Amino acid sequence: MTNKQQKYDVGDFAMFFGPAHPGSGNFSVKVEMRGERVLKATADPGYLHRGFEKLMEYRDPMQNSVLSDRVCVLEPLQWNLVHAEAVDNLMEYDVPERAKYIRVILAELSRIQSHFIWYAVMSLGTGFMTGFNVAMGYRDYILDVFNMITGGRVYPAGYICPGGVRKDLPEKAEKKILAVLDKVDYMRKFASTENLAWMARFKDIGVLTKEEAIKYGATGPILRGCGVAADVRRDDPYEIYDQLDFNIPVYDEGDAFHRFRIGLEEIEESMKIITQAVDRLPKGEVRTPNLKPTVQFRKAKGETYVRNELSRGEGAFYMVATGEKTPYRVKIRGPSFSHMIPILERLLTGVDYADLPAIYWSLYQCPADVDR
Amino acid sequence: MTAIEQEKKTDIVEKLSSELDASVVLKTDRRLWVTIDSSKVVDTCLKAQQMGFEHLSTISAVDWLEEGRFELVYHLWSYKYNSLLSIKTKIDRNKPSISSINSIWDTYAETCERECHELFGIDFKGNSNLTPLFLEDWKGPPPFLKDFNWREYTLKELYDEENPREKAYFEVKK
Repeated sequence: MTNKQQKYDVGDFAMFFGPAHPGSGNFSVKVEMRGERVLKATADPGYLHRGFEKLMEYRDPMQNSVLSDRVCVLEPLQWNLVHAEAVDNLMEYDVPERAKYIRVILAELSRIQSHFIWYAVMSLGTGFMTGFNVAMGYRDYILDVFNMITGGRVYPAGYICPGGVRKDLPEKAEKKILAVLDKVDYMRKFASTENLAWMARFKDIGVLTKEEAIKYGATGPILRGCGVAADVRRDDPYEIYDQLDFNIPVYDEGDAFHRFRIGLEEIEESMKIITQAVDRLPKGEVRTPNLKPTVQFRKAKGETYVRNELSRGEGAFYMVATGEKTPYRVKIRGPSFSHMIPILERLLTGVDYADLPAIYWSLYQCPADVDR
Repeated sequence: MTAIEQEKKTDIVEKLSSELDASVVLKTDRRLWVTIDSSKVVDTCLKAQQMGFEHLSTISAVDWLEEGRFELVYHLWSYKYNSLLSIKTKIDRNKPSISSINSIWDTYAETCERECHELFGIDFKGNSNLTPLFLEDWKGPPPFLKDFNWREYTLKELYDEENPREKAYFEVKK
């Protein structure tokens, strides 16, 4: 550290990627460079730190379910689900079957729209504006379905709440969900077509090995892109995932291109899951019967650690209850925390500056769940 | 759960208990909990990692104010056994210090520890990178402590009672 100054020569400089960059999100990376080569990258999170863990200590679980939307803007329904499961677990609620199906359908739709955003930002990063516009346009069809079911296009306002879901599906919702899958399939095909610009920008870029991925805490598509077949939905099943039939796409290459291939194939698997769930959707209650509008959280005592497979990887809630109205401690584990700090810093060391956006976006970043 | 799976589960619990030299409890499906002494944390994590608990999910801290201690919880997932091992350990609240596990999980563990250091003020021996992570220009006490009243702190630091526009906030408090 002491002789750092001597190491540098005239061609050395430091610059920022983000937070004002059009696609970086609320996140910044400080890169020290020699010419076009990155010597060292330092992630600088904190632009979105809202202190949810602390805020949740002051609110009861039904209020927290609304807060949990905001953990990540791009996949709010899935965060709703993790939070609801943590409370269900502590309160030992027996969630009705129909509610479990609705939760899974919405979580998978949310995964698809999030993967569309991934395609959009990756296109944006490579200057392929058509890809960005088309993906964001098709995402809107899914947002329409969210609007119909939850009442909010992006934020469901705690639709998936402790004990089930807040309201039953409206009339003809099943038909509309199946209809939107046609649109999804069209977008998937559009994104799967061989794109030479993409190949040139993403192939063999940002290669992460299997050992490194495990050591640095990678999960989700990033880990599966390195050849580890791990998926919380299969390994640690929650809701009804153990009764559904779906594959887990895995690639061994570990580069930016194959990380996104995983995302594309996951869209197909999610479509399979939704079709199965809509087919089997049972009738009945959508929230635990005899449940008061608020959660009687004073009855809960103990701790729980709930993990879910979000679109970006493993999302988890650690919740401690001591018999008060509010949780004593909440810890949120966001998937991007490991992807955006240790892994990004590791992958950016020694690359060309021109590859920085490709690596950055291939890690499927969500600054909101890093900072929380 | 079939009989074979049940047998496998008890096997893991016994094997882990003897390897880690502590009593591991299987509370619910795929959730193992163990409480250890804070001096053994690196040793236990290393042994657990060698046994197949390779994925450090997260490190969380709980501030037990009445007891006067911090509780650190290391959540490890095993791709081999499909189980989560939560290692719990308590340290003194007045002199919060514990060994870093960056020798096992490298910069990821360091980043998790940075977060605990910033939000709870826990010192991790052996971690040279305990720089601020989320908070910028923060001069107050670690904000996630149970005895830190952020409402009072914000009023004192960021609001001016003389200012007629901000006076209302002080009245609400009274």
